[in-house]
Amino acid sequence: MTDIAAAPARSVGFFFALAPRGKAVFFALAATAVCLLFAFPVFWLILTSLRTGTGVYYVHRGTEFTTDNFHEVLSQEIVLRALFNSFMISTLATVLSLGVTATSGYMLSRFKGPIPNAWFSLIYIFRCVPYVAWVLPLYFVTQKLHIFDSYWGLLLPHIAVHICFFSWIMKGFFDGIDPSMEYAAMIDGCSRWGAFWRVAMPAAVPGLTALAILCWLYTWNEFLFALILTAHETPILTVVMAQFVHELGMEWHLMSATAVIALVPALIVTLFGQRYVIRGLRI
Amino acid sequence: MNEKTRFMLALITPAALVLILFQVVPILTGADASFRDWTLHDPKRTWVGFANYLHVLRDAEFRDIVLPNTFGFMIATVACSLVLGLAIALMLNNRFPGRWLVQSFVLLPLMVAPVIAAIMIRWMFNDQFGVVNAALEGLGLAPISWLTQRWTTFAVILLTDVWLWTPWFALILLAGLQSLPPEPFEAARIDAASAWRTFRYITLPMLRPVMVVCIVIRAIDAFRTFDIVWTISGGGPARATELFSIYAYVEAFQFLNLARGSAAAVIGAIVIVVFALLLYRVLNRFVEVSK
Repeated sequence: MTDIAAAPARSVGFFFALAPRGKAVFFALAATAVCLLFAFPVFWLILTSLRTGTGVYYVHRGTEFTTDNFHEVLSQEIVLRALFNSFMISTLATVLSLGVTATSGYMLSRFKGPIPNAWFSLIYIFRCVPYVAWVLPLYFVTQKLHIFDSYWGLLLPHIAVHICFFSWIMKGFFDGIDPSMEYAAMIDGCSRWGAFWRVAMPAAVPGLTALAILCWLYTWNEFLFALILTAHETPILTVVMAQFVHELGMEWHLMSATAVIALVPALIVTLFGQRYVIRGLRI
Repeated sequence: MNEKTRFMLALITPAALVLILFQVVPILTGADASFRDWTLHDPKRTWVGFANYLHVLRDAEFRDIVLPNTFGFMIATVACSLVLGLAIALMLNNRFPGRWLVQSFVLLPLMVAPVIAAIMIRWMFNDQFGVVNAALEGLGLAPISWLTQRWTTFAVILLTDVWLWTPWFALILLAGLQSLPPEPFEAARIDAASAWRTFRYITLPMLRPVMVVCIVIRAIDAFRTFDIVWTISGGGPARATELFSIYAYVEAFQFLNLARGSAAAVIGAIVIVVFALLLYRVLNRFVEVSK
Protein backbone atom coordinates (compact mmCIF):
# COMPACT_ATOMS: atom_id res chain seq x y z
CA MET A 1 0.00 0.00 0.00
CA THR A 2 2.63 2.49 0.99
CA ASP A 3 4.78 1.43 -1.96
CA ILE A 4 2.01 2.13 -4.44
CA ALA A 5 1.35 5.55 -2.94
CA ALA A 6 5.02 6.40 -2.66
CA ALA A 7 5.94 5.64 -6.25
CA PRO A 8 3.88 8.30 -7.97
CA ALA A 9 4.62 10.74 -5.18
CA ARG A 10 8.30 10.22 -5.75
CA SER A 11 8.05 10.67 -9.48
CA VAL A 12 5.96 13.80 -9.11
CA GLY A 13 8.40 15.07 -6.55
CA PHE A 14 11.23 14.35 -8.93
CA PHE A 15 9.76 16.52 -11.67
CA PHE A 16 8.73 19.23 -9.25
CA ALA A 17 12.19 19.29 -7.84
CA LEU A 18 13.73 19.66 -11.26
CA ALA A 19 11.23 21.70 -13.24
CA PRO A 20 10.79 24.77 -10.99
CA ARG A 21 14.53 25.06 -10.58
CA GLY A 22 15.02 24.63 -14.32
CA LYS A 23 12.48 27.36 -14.86
CA ALA A 24 14.11 29.57 -12.24
CA VAL A 25 17.54 29.08 -13.80
CA PHE A 26 16.14 29.85 -17.22
CA PHE A 27 14.49 32.99 -15.85
CA ALA A 28 17.63 34.15 -14.13
CA LEU A 29 19.66 33.64 -17.29
CA ALA A 30 17.13 35.38 -19.51
CA ALA A 31 16.77 38.29 -17.08
CA THR A 32 20.53 38.73 -16.84
CA ALA A 33 20.89 38.60 -20.62
CA VAL A 34 18.20 41.24 -21.05
CA CYS A 35 19.80 43.52 -18.45
CA LEU A 36 23.23 43.14 -20.05
CA LEU A 37 21.90 43.74 -23.54
CA PHE A 38 20.21 46.99 -22.62
CA ALA A 39 22.59 48.34 -20.00
CA PHE A 40 25.97 47.47 -21.45
CA PRO A 41 26.24 50.28 -24.07
CA VAL A 42 25.29 52.87 -21.44
CA PHE A 43 27.70 51.36 -18.92
CA TRP A 44 30.43 51.46 -21.55
CA LEU A 45 29.71 55.10 -22.31
CA ILE A 46 29.98 56.02 -18.63
CA LEU A 47 33.22 54.05 -18.35
CA THR A 48 34.67 55.85 -21.39
CA SER A 49 33.73 59.23 -19.92
CA LEU A 50 35.84 58.44 -16.84
CA ARG A 51 39.02 57.77 -18.81
CA THR A 52 41.87 60.10 -19.66
CA GLY A 53 42.26 61.27 -23.27
CA THR A 54 44.82 58.58 -24.09
CA GLY A 55 43.38 55.88 -21.84
CA VAL A 56 40.19 55.89 -23.90
CA TYR A 57 41.77 53.71 -26.57
CA TYR A 58 42.57 50.98 -24.09
CA VAL A 59 39.39 51.37 -22.13
CA HIS A 60 39.01 47.62 -21.72
CA ARG A 61 42.48 47.24 -20.18
CA GLY A 62 43.65 50.10 -17.92
CA THR A 63 42.47 50.89 -14.43
CA GLU A 64 43.12 54.63 -14.42
CA PHE A 65 40.01 56.75 -13.82
CA THR A 66 39.48 60.50 -13.74
CA THR A 67 36.68 63.06 -13.54
CA ASP A 68 38.69 65.68 -15.47
CA ASN A 69 36.58 65.19 -18.60
CA PHE A 70 33.52 66.48 -16.78
CA HIS A 71 35.43 69.50 -15.43
CA GLU A 72 36.76 70.24 -18.89
CA VAL A 73 33.39 69.95 -20.57
CA LEU A 74 31.54 71.98 -17.92
CA SER A 75 34.15 74.76 -18.03
CA GLN A 76 33.19 75.52 -21.63
CA GLU A 77 30.75 78.37 -21.89
CA ILE A 78 28.95 76.91 -24.91
CA VAL A 79 28.14 73.67 -23.07
CA LEU A 80 26.65 75.59 -20.14
CA ARG A 81 24.58 77.76 -22.47
CA ALA A 82 23.46 74.67 -24.38
CA LEU A 83 22.42 72.97 -21.14
CA PHE A 84 20.38 76.02 -20.15
CA ASN A 85 18.79 76.37 -23.62
CA SER A 86 17.94 72.69 -23.91
CA PHE A 87 16.34 72.81 -20.47
CA MET A 88 14.29 75.91 -21.28
CA ILE A 89 13.18 74.66 -24.71
CA SER A 90 12.20 71.25 -23.36
CA THR A 91 10.20 72.78 -20.50
CA LEU A 92 8.44 75.38 -22.63
CA ALA A 93 7.71 72.89 -25.40
CA THR A 94 6.22 70.48 -22.86
CA VAL A 95 3.90 73.09 -21.35
CA LEU A 96 2.75 74.45 -24.71
CA SER A 97 2.43 71.06 -26.46
CA LEU A 98 0.33 69.62 -23.67
CA GLY A 99 -1.88 72.70 -23.57
CA VAL A 100 -2.50 72.53 -27.29
CA THR A 101 -2.95 68.76 -27.59
CA ALA A 102 -5.14 68.31 -24.51
CA THR A 103 -7.93 70.32 -26.17
CA SER A 104 -7.39 68.64 -29.51
CA GLY A 105 -7.40 65.14 -27.96
CA TYR A 106 -10.50 65.99 -25.91
CA MET A 107 -12.27 67.06 -29.06
CA LEU A 108 -11.32 63.81 -30.83
CA SER A 109 -12.51 61.76 -27.89
CA ARG A 110 -15.84 63.44 -27.15
CA PHE A 111 -17.26 64.30 -30.55
CA LYS A 112 -18.27 62.37 -33.66
CA GLY A 113 -18.99 63.58 -37.15
CA PRO A 114 -17.26 65.09 -40.16
CA ILE A 115 -15.12 67.66 -38.30
CA PRO A 116 -13.45 65.23 -35.84
CA ASN A 117 -13.03 62.71 -38.67
CA ALA A 118 -11.36 65.27 -40.91
CA TRP A 119 -9.10 66.43 -38.09
CA PHE A 120 -8.16 62.86 -37.23
CA SER A 121 -7.31 62.02 -40.85
CA LEU A 122 -5.25 65.19 -41.08
CA ILE A 123 -3.12 64.44 -38.05
CA TYR A 124 -2.80 60.79 -39.06
CA ILE A 125 -1.47 61.74 -42.50
CA PHE A 126 0.84 64.46 -41.20
CA ARG A 127 2.26 62.13 -38.61
CA CYS A 128 3.40 59.87 -41.47
CA VAL A 129 5.11 62.55 -43.54
CA PRO A 130 8.86 62.07 -43.16
CA TYR A 131 10.66 64.84 -41.25
CA VAL A 132 13.09 65.35 -44.10
CA ALA A 133 10.21 66.58 -46.28
CA TRP A 134 9.60 69.60 -44.04
CA VAL A 135 12.81 70.32 -42.22
CA LEU A 136 14.58 72.08 -45.06
CA PRO A 137 11.67 74.28 -46.18
CA LEU A 138 11.10 74.99 -42.47
CA TYR A 139 14.50 76.66 -42.50
CA PHE A 140 13.20 79.18 -45.06
CA VAL A 141 9.86 79.59 -43.29
CA THR A 142 11.44 80.42 -39.91
CA GLN A 143 13.80 82.88 -41.58
CA LYS A 144 10.92 84.58 -43.32
CA LEU A 145 9.09 84.87 -39.97
CA HIS A 146 12.32 86.24 -38.39
CA ILE A 147 12.32 83.58 -35.69
CA PHE A 148 15.24 81.53 -37.02
CA ASP A 149 17.81 80.68 -34.31
CA SER A 150 15.53 81.86 -31.49
CA TYR A 151 13.46 80.04 -28.86
CA TRP A 152 10.25 80.48 -30.82
CA GLY A 153 11.87 79.24 -34.02
CA LEU A 154 12.62 75.90 -32.39
CA LEU A 155 9.64 75.72 -30.03
CA LEU A 156 6.88 76.07 -32.59
CA PRO A 157 8.19 73.37 -34.97
CA HIS A 158 8.64 71.08 -31.95
CA ILE A 159 5.02 71.65 -30.96
CA ALA A 160 4.00 70.90 -34.56
CA VAL A 161 5.87 67.58 -34.32
CA HIS A 162 4.10 66.72 -31.08
CA ILE A 163 0.58 67.67 -32.15
CA CYS A 164 -0.02 64.68 -34.38
CA PHE A 165 1.10 61.96 -32.02
CA PHE A 166 0.05 63.49 -28.70
CA SER A 167 -3.46 64.30 -29.89
CA TRP A 168 -3.84 60.60 -30.55
CA ILE A 169 -2.52 59.64 -27.11
CA MET A 170 -4.64 62.32 -25.40
CA LYS A 171 -7.70 60.93 -27.17
CA GLY A 172 -6.85 57.61 -25.55
CA PHE A 173 -6.64 59.21 -22.10
CA PHE A 174 -9.98 60.95 -22.45
CA ASP A 175 -11.57 57.79 -23.91
CA GLY A 176 -10.69 56.14 -20.60
CA ILE A 177 -12.58 58.78 -18.61
CA ASP A 178 -16.32 58.36 -18.27
CA PRO A 179 -18.02 61.40 -19.87
CA SER A 180 -21.15 61.14 -17.72
CA MET A 181 -19.56 63.39 -15.08
CA GLU A 182 -19.19 66.12 -17.68
CA TYR A 183 -22.82 65.72 -18.76
CA ALA A 184 -23.86 65.97 -15.11
CA ALA A 185 -21.81 69.15 -14.72
CA MET A 186 -23.40 70.63 -17.83
CA ILE A 187 -26.89 69.80 -16.60
CA ASP A 188 -25.99 71.61 -13.38
CA GLY A 189 -25.24 74.71 -15.41
CA CYS A 190 -21.57 74.32 -16.26
CA SER A 191 -20.52 75.53 -19.71
CA ARG A 192 -18.76 73.18 -22.17
CA TRP A 193 -15.49 74.85 -21.35
CA GLY A 194 -16.21 74.51 -17.66
CA ALA A 195 -16.96 70.80 -18.07
CA PHE A 196 -13.70 70.33 -19.97
CA TRP A 197 -11.57 72.41 -17.61
CA ARG A 198 -13.05 71.53 -14.22
CA VAL A 199 -14.18 67.93 -14.76
CA ALA A 200 -12.29 66.25 -17.60
CA MET A 201 -8.86 67.86 -17.09
CA PRO A 202 -8.45 66.96 -13.38
CA ALA A 203 -9.39 63.37 -14.22
CA ALA A 204 -6.73 63.29 -16.94
CA VAL A 205 -3.90 64.50 -14.68
CA PRO A 206 -2.18 61.09 -14.29
CA GLY A 207 -2.07 60.69 -18.07
CA LEU A 208 -0.93 64.27 -18.52
CA THR A 209 1.93 63.80 -16.06
CA ALA A 210 3.10 60.74 -17.94
CA LEU A 211 2.92 62.49 -21.28
CA ALA A 212 4.68 65.55 -19.86
CA ILE A 213 7.68 63.44 -18.84
CA LEU A 214 7.88 61.78 -22.24
CA CYS A 215 7.41 65.06 -24.09
CA TRP A 216 10.18 66.69 -22.05
CA LEU A 217 12.56 63.84 -22.85
CA TYR A 218 11.66 63.75 -26.56
CA THR A 219 12.44 67.44 -26.86
CA TRP A 220 15.62 67.12 -24.81
CA ASN A 221 16.80 64.25 -27.06
CA GLU A 222 15.77 65.74 -30.39
CA PHE A 223 18.54 66.35 -32.90
CA LEU A 224 17.48 67.03 -36.49
CA PHE A 225 15.30 70.11 -35.87
CA ALA A 226 17.84 71.58 -33.46
CA LEU A 227 20.59 71.02 -36.01
CA ILE A 228 18.86 72.81 -38.84
CA LEU A 229 16.87 75.50 -37.02
CA THR A 230 19.51 76.87 -34.62
CA ALA A 231 22.90 78.50 -35.04
CA HIS A 232 25.24 80.40 -32.67
CA GLU A 233 22.57 82.34 -30.77
CA THR A 234 20.76 79.31 -29.34
CA PRO A 235 23.13 76.33 -28.96
CA ILE A 236 21.32 73.09 -28.12
CA LEU A 237 22.93 70.24 -26.20
CA THR A 238 22.52 67.43 -28.75
CA VAL A 239 23.95 69.61 -31.51
CA VAL A 240 26.88 70.80 -29.39
CA MET A 241 27.58 67.17 -28.53
CA ALA A 242 27.57 66.14 -32.17
CA GLN A 243 29.96 68.99 -32.93
CA PHE A 244 32.59 67.42 -30.69
CA VAL A 245 32.81 64.72 -33.35
CA HIS A 246 33.60 67.09 -36.15
CA GLU A 247 35.60 69.94 -34.64
CA LEU A 248 37.84 67.98 -32.32
CA GLY A 249 38.27 64.89 -34.49
CA MET A 250 36.47 62.32 -32.32
CA GLU A 251 37.59 63.17 -28.81
CA TRP A 252 35.79 60.19 -27.39
CA HIS A 253 36.46 61.05 -23.73
CA LEU A 254 34.93 64.56 -23.97
CA MET A 255 32.08 63.32 -26.13
CA SER A 256 31.25 60.59 -23.68
CA ALA A 257 31.35 63.04 -20.76
CA THR A 258 28.91 65.38 -22.55
CA ALA A 259 26.72 62.42 -23.48
CA VAL A 260 26.65 61.26 -19.86
CA ILE A 261 25.60 64.76 -18.73
CA ALA A 262 22.87 64.68 -21.40
CA LEU A 263 21.80 61.28 -20.06
CA VAL A 264 21.23 62.47 -16.48
CA PRO A 265 17.53 63.36 -16.93
CA ALA A 266 16.97 60.02 -18.66
CA LEU A 267 18.58 58.17 -15.76
CA ILE A 268 16.54 60.13 -13.21
CA VAL A 269 13.31 59.33 -15.02
CA THR A 270 14.26 55.66 -15.34
CA LEU A 271 14.90 55.48 -11.61
CA PHE A 272 12.03 57.53 -10.24
CA GLY A 273 9.44 58.05 -12.95
CA GLN A 274 8.99 54.52 -14.30
CA ARG A 275 5.35 54.29 -13.34
CA TYR A 276 4.49 57.49 -15.19
CA VAL A 277 6.44 56.64 -18.32
CA ILE A 278 4.84 53.25 -18.68
CA ARG A 279 1.43 54.86 -18.32
CA GLY A 280 2.34 57.47 -20.93
CA LEU A 281 3.30 54.85 -23.48
CA ARG A 282 -0.19 53.42 -23.56
CA ILE A 283 -1.72 53.84 -27.00
CA MET B 1 -22.74 77.38 -37.08
CA ASN B 2 -24.18 76.16 -33.83
CA GLU B 3 -22.65 76.37 -30.39
CA LYS B 4 -21.36 72.78 -30.44
CA THR B 5 -19.49 73.25 -33.72
CA ARG B 6 -17.96 76.49 -32.44
CA PHE B 7 -16.76 74.65 -29.34
CA MET B 8 -15.23 71.84 -31.44
CA LEU B 9 -13.42 74.30 -33.69
CA ALA B 10 -12.20 76.34 -30.72
CA LEU B 11 -10.71 73.18 -29.19
CA ILE B 12 -8.59 72.42 -32.24
CA THR B 13 -7.78 75.98 -33.37
CA PRO B 14 -4.45 76.39 -31.53
CA ALA B 15 -3.23 72.98 -32.69
CA ALA B 16 -4.46 73.55 -36.23
CA LEU B 17 -2.74 76.95 -36.46
CA VAL B 18 0.64 75.57 -35.41
CA LEU B 19 0.17 72.55 -37.65
CA ILE B 20 -0.65 74.64 -40.71
CA LEU B 21 2.09 77.20 -40.20
CA PHE B 22 4.91 74.84 -39.26
CA GLN B 23 4.03 71.66 -41.10
CA VAL B 24 1.62 72.25 -43.95
CA VAL B 25 3.27 75.43 -45.22
CA PRO B 26 6.80 73.97 -45.18
CA ILE B 27 5.64 70.78 -46.91
CA LEU B 28 3.94 72.81 -49.65
CA THR B 29 7.06 74.99 -49.99
CA GLY B 30 9.15 71.85 -50.41
CA ALA B 31 6.72 70.37 -52.92
CA ASP B 32 6.85 73.61 -54.90
CA ALA B 33 10.66 73.55 -54.88
CA SER B 34 10.66 70.01 -56.27
CA PHE B 35 9.16 71.27 -59.56
CA ARG B 36 11.80 73.95 -60.07
CA ASP B 37 15.43 74.22 -61.06
CA TRP B 38 16.59 75.10 -57.56
CA THR B 39 20.18 74.39 -56.59
CA LEU B 40 21.52 76.02 -53.43
CA HIS B 41 24.42 77.73 -55.23
CA ASP B 42 22.32 78.90 -58.17
CA PRO B 43 18.62 79.22 -57.24
CA LYS B 44 17.10 80.05 -60.65
CA ARG B 45 13.71 78.75 -59.53
CA THR B 46 12.49 78.19 -63.09
CA TRP B 47 9.65 75.71 -63.52
CA VAL B 48 10.88 72.36 -64.89
CA GLY B 49 7.85 70.11 -64.36
CA PHE B 50 8.60 66.53 -63.44
CA ALA B 51 12.27 66.58 -64.49
CA ASN B 52 13.52 66.19 -60.91
CA TYR B 53 11.15 63.32 -60.23
CA LEU B 54 12.23 61.52 -63.38
CA HIS B 55 15.85 62.01 -62.46
CA VAL B 56 15.33 60.49 -59.00
CA LEU B 57 13.26 57.58 -60.29
CA ARG B 58 15.84 56.81 -63.01
CA ASP B 59 18.74 57.05 -60.57
CA ALA B 60 20.18 53.55 -60.12
CA GLU B 61 21.30 54.52 -56.59
CA PHE B 62 17.71 55.31 -55.60
CA ARG B 63 16.09 52.34 -57.35
CA ASP B 64 18.56 49.57 -56.59
CA ILE B 65 19.99 50.59 -53.22
CA VAL B 66 17.87 53.17 -51.41
CA LEU B 67 14.45 51.59 -51.94
CA PRO B 68 15.46 48.00 -51.05
CA ASN B 69 17.46 49.34 -48.08
CA THR B 70 14.54 51.38 -46.77
CA PHE B 71 11.98 48.60 -47.01
CA GLY B 72 14.43 45.92 -45.89
CA PHE B 73 15.36 48.03 -42.88
CA MET B 74 11.74 48.72 -42.05
CA ILE B 75 10.71 45.05 -42.18
CA ALA B 76 13.80 43.78 -40.37
CA THR B 77 13.70 46.28 -37.51
CA VAL B 78 9.96 45.87 -36.91
CA ALA B 79 10.18 42.05 -37.03
CA CYS B 80 13.20 41.81 -34.72
CA SER B 81 11.91 44.33 -32.17
CA LEU B 82 8.45 42.75 -32.18
CA VAL B 83 9.71 39.22 -31.50
CA LEU B 84 12.26 40.33 -28.90
CA GLY B 85 9.80 42.76 -27.31
CA LEU B 86 7.13 40.09 -27.06
CA ALA B 87 9.56 37.68 -25.44
CA ILE B 88 10.60 40.30 -22.88
CA ALA B 89 6.98 41.27 -22.23
CA LEU B 90 6.06 37.62 -21.56
CA MET B 91 9.01 37.35 -19.20
CA LEU B 92 8.11 40.54 -17.32
CA ASN B 93 4.51 39.40 -17.06
CA ASN B 94 5.65 36.84 -14.46
CA ARG B 95 6.36 37.69 -10.87
CA PHE B 96 9.95 37.02 -9.95
CA PRO B 97 12.50 38.61 -7.63
CA GLY B 98 14.34 41.48 -9.30
CA ARG B 99 11.55 42.13 -11.79
CA TRP B 100 11.61 45.84 -10.98
CA LEU B 101 15.32 45.96 -11.75
CA VAL B 102 14.96 44.17 -15.09
CA GLN B 103 12.14 46.52 -16.03
CA SER B 104 14.35 49.53 -15.23
CA PHE B 105 17.07 48.21 -17.51
CA VAL B 106 14.55 47.56 -20.25
CA LEU B 107 13.21 51.09 -19.90
CA LEU B 108 16.63 52.68 -20.21
CA PRO B 109 17.06 52.70 -24.04
CA LEU B 110 13.71 54.46 -24.42
CA MET B 111 15.09 57.45 -22.56
CA VAL B 112 18.40 57.61 -24.41
CA ALA B 113 18.66 60.05 -27.30
CA PRO B 114 19.06 58.18 -30.62
CA VAL B 115 22.13 60.30 -31.37
CA ILE B 116 23.76 59.19 -28.11
CA ALA B 117 22.81 55.56 -28.80
CA ALA B 118 24.34 55.79 -32.27
CA ILE B 119 27.54 57.29 -30.86
CA MET B 120 27.76 54.55 -28.21
CA ILE B 121 27.26 51.72 -30.67
CA ARG B 122 29.64 53.25 -33.18
CA TRP B 123 32.29 53.49 -30.47
CA MET B 124 31.69 49.87 -29.46
CA PHE B 125 32.07 48.72 -33.07
CA ASN B 126 35.15 50.87 -33.77
CA ASP B 127 37.47 48.63 -35.79
CA GLN B 128 40.67 49.42 -33.86
CA PHE B 129 39.61 50.32 -30.33
CA GLY B 130 36.07 48.99 -30.09
CA VAL B 131 35.07 46.60 -27.34
CA VAL B 132 33.37 44.22 -29.78
CA ASN B 133 36.57 43.58 -31.72
CA ALA B 134 38.50 43.32 -28.46
CA ALA B 135 36.05 40.61 -27.39
CA LEU B 136 36.43 38.83 -30.73
CA GLU B 137 40.20 38.86 -30.35
CA GLY B 138 39.83 37.57 -26.81
CA LEU B 139 37.86 34.62 -28.20
CA GLY B 140 40.63 33.99 -30.72
CA LEU B 141 38.63 35.24 -33.70
CA ALA B 142 39.78 37.72 -36.32
CA PRO B 143 38.57 41.31 -35.77
CA ILE B 144 36.03 42.59 -38.29
CA SER B 145 36.11 46.10 -39.74
CA TRP B 146 32.39 46.58 -39.18
CA LEU B 147 31.82 49.93 -40.79
CA THR B 148 33.64 49.39 -44.09
CA GLN B 149 31.35 46.80 -45.67
CA ARG B 150 27.76 47.14 -46.69
CA TRP B 151 26.13 44.27 -44.83
CA THR B 152 28.07 44.56 -41.57
CA THR B 153 27.33 48.30 -41.47
CA PHE B 154 23.69 47.55 -42.16
CA ALA B 155 23.69 45.00 -39.34
CA VAL B 156 25.19 47.52 -36.89
CA ILE B 157 22.56 50.11 -37.81
CA LEU B 158 19.84 47.50 -37.45
CA LEU B 159 21.20 46.46 -34.07
CA THR B 160 21.12 50.08 -32.86
CA ASP B 161 17.54 50.51 -33.97
CA VAL B 162 16.45 47.23 -32.40
CA TRP B 163 18.24 48.22 -29.19
CA LEU B 164 16.39 51.53 -29.15
CA TRP B 165 12.93 50.21 -29.96
CA THR B 166 12.61 46.71 -28.46
CA PRO B 167 11.83 48.27 -25.04
CA TRP B 168 9.01 50.25 -26.56
CA PHE B 169 7.43 47.07 -27.93
CA ALA B 170 8.11 45.23 -24.66
CA LEU B 171 6.45 47.83 -22.43
CA ILE B 172 3.40 48.36 -24.62
CA LEU B 173 2.89 44.61 -25.06
CA LEU B 174 3.38 44.15 -21.32
CA ALA B 175 0.63 46.70 -20.65
CA GLY B 176 -1.49 44.81 -23.18
CA LEU B 177 -0.81 41.49 -21.45
CA GLN B 178 -1.69 42.91 -18.06
CA SER B 179 -5.02 44.25 -19.27
CA LEU B 180 -6.17 40.88 -20.68
CA PRO B 181 -9.06 39.30 -18.76
CA PRO B 182 -7.90 36.40 -16.53
CA GLU B 183 -10.84 34.05 -17.20
CA PRO B 184 -9.63 32.42 -20.48
CA PHE B 185 -6.27 31.71 -18.83
CA GLU B 186 -7.94 30.12 -15.82
CA ALA B 187 -10.08 28.00 -18.14
CA ALA B 188 -6.98 26.92 -20.04
CA ARG B 189 -5.26 26.00 -16.78
CA ILE B 190 -8.23 23.94 -15.65
CA ASP B 191 -8.16 22.15 -19.02
CA ALA B 192 -4.42 21.54 -18.44
CA ALA B 193 -3.42 23.28 -21.67
CA SER B 194 0.33 23.43 -22.22
CA ALA B 195 2.14 26.76 -21.94
CA TRP B 196 2.78 26.84 -25.68
CA ARG B 197 -0.84 26.16 -26.61
CA THR B 198 -2.07 28.75 -24.11
CA PHE B 199 0.28 31.26 -25.72
CA ARG B 200 -0.56 30.27 -29.29
CA TYR B 201 -4.34 30.05 -28.96
CA ILE B 202 -5.17 32.53 -26.17
CA THR B 203 -2.45 35.10 -25.58
CA LEU B 204 -1.52 35.75 -29.19
CA PRO B 205 -5.05 36.23 -30.60
CA MET B 206 -6.08 38.42 -27.66
CA LEU B 207 -2.95 40.51 -27.97
CA ARG B 208 -3.31 40.98 -31.72
CA PRO B 209 -4.97 44.45 -31.68
CA VAL B 210 -2.14 45.90 -29.56
CA MET B 211 0.45 44.24 -31.77
CA VAL B 212 -1.11 45.64 -34.93
CA VAL B 213 -1.09 49.19 -33.53
CA CYS B 214 2.56 48.79 -32.49
CA ILE B 215 3.56 47.48 -35.90
CA VAL B 216 1.80 50.29 -37.76
CA ILE B 217 3.28 53.08 -35.65
CA ARG B 218 6.75 51.61 -35.66
CA ALA B 219 6.78 50.76 -39.39
CA ILE B 220 5.90 54.34 -40.29
CA ASP B 221 8.59 55.71 -37.98
CA ALA B 222 11.20 53.22 -39.21
CA PHE B 223 10.60 54.35 -42.79
CA ARG B 224 11.89 57.84 -42.00
CA THR B 225 14.87 56.83 -39.84
CA PHE B 226 17.55 59.45 -40.14
CA ASP B 227 19.71 60.25 -37.13
CA ILE B 228 21.13 56.84 -36.26
CA VAL B 229 22.13 56.07 -39.86
CA TRP B 230 23.59 59.54 -40.23
CA THR B 231 25.62 59.25 -37.02
CA ILE B 232 26.80 55.66 -37.54
CA SER B 233 27.67 55.49 -41.22
CA GLY B 234 26.56 58.71 -42.93
CA GLY B 235 24.98 56.41 -45.51
CA GLY B 236 28.36 54.87 -46.34
CA PRO B 237 30.45 52.99 -47.23
CA ALA B 238 30.08 54.50 -50.73
CA ARG B 239 26.35 55.29 -50.22
CA ALA B 240 25.60 51.57 -49.71
CA THR B 241 23.50 51.97 -46.55
CA GLU B 242 21.54 55.07 -47.51
CA LEU B 243 17.89 55.05 -46.51
CA PHE B 244 15.47 57.32 -48.27
CA SER B 245 15.74 60.20 -45.73
CA ILE B 246 19.52 60.14 -46.07
CA TYR B 247 19.25 60.11 -49.87
CA ALA B 248 17.03 63.21 -49.82
CA TYR B 249 19.33 64.96 -47.34
CA VAL B 250 22.48 64.10 -49.32
CA GLU B 251 20.95 65.29 -52.59
CA ALA B 252 19.85 68.56 -50.97
CA PHE B 253 22.85 69.39 -48.76
CA GLN B 254 25.89 67.60 -50.16
CA PHE B 255 25.09 67.87 -53.86
CA LEU B 256 23.36 71.19 -53.03
CA ASN B 257 20.41 70.36 -55.24
CA LEU B 258 17.44 71.39 -53.13
CA ALA B 259 14.95 70.60 -55.90
CA ARG B 260 16.15 67.03 -56.37
CA GLY B 261 16.28 66.42 -52.62
CA SER B 262 12.74 67.77 -52.28
CA ALA B 263 11.56 65.55 -55.14
CA ALA B 264 13.03 62.50 -53.38
CA ALA B 265 11.39 63.61 -50.11
CA VAL B 266 8.01 64.01 -51.83
CA ILE B 267 8.31 60.57 -53.46
CA GLY B 268 9.10 59.07 -50.06
CA ALA B 269 6.24 60.97 -48.44
CA ILE B 270 3.77 59.73 -51.06
CA VAL B 271 4.99 56.14 -50.71
CA ILE B 272 4.65 56.17 -46.94
CA VAL B 273 1.30 57.99 -46.87
CA VAL B 274 -0.20 55.47 -49.30
CA PHE B 275 1.30 52.68 -47.23
CA ALA B 276 -0.05 54.29 -44.05
CA LEU B 277 -3.54 54.62 -45.50
CA LEU B 278 -3.54 50.93 -46.40
CA LEU B 279 -2.35 50.12 -42.89
CA TYR B 280 -5.02 52.43 -41.49
CA ARG B 281 -7.72 50.20 -42.99
CA VAL B 282 -6.09 47.14 -41.46
CA LEU B 283 -5.82 49.00 -38.17
CA ASN B 284 -9.44 50.09 -38.24
CA ARG B 285 -10.57 46.52 -38.70
CA PHE B 286 -8.81 45.55 -35.48
CA VAL B 287 -9.25 48.49 -33.13
CA GLU B 288 -11.53 51.14 -34.64
CA VAL B 289 -9.13 54.02 -34.08
CA SER B 290 -11.32 56.61 -35.75
CA LYS B 291 -14.38 55.72 -33.73
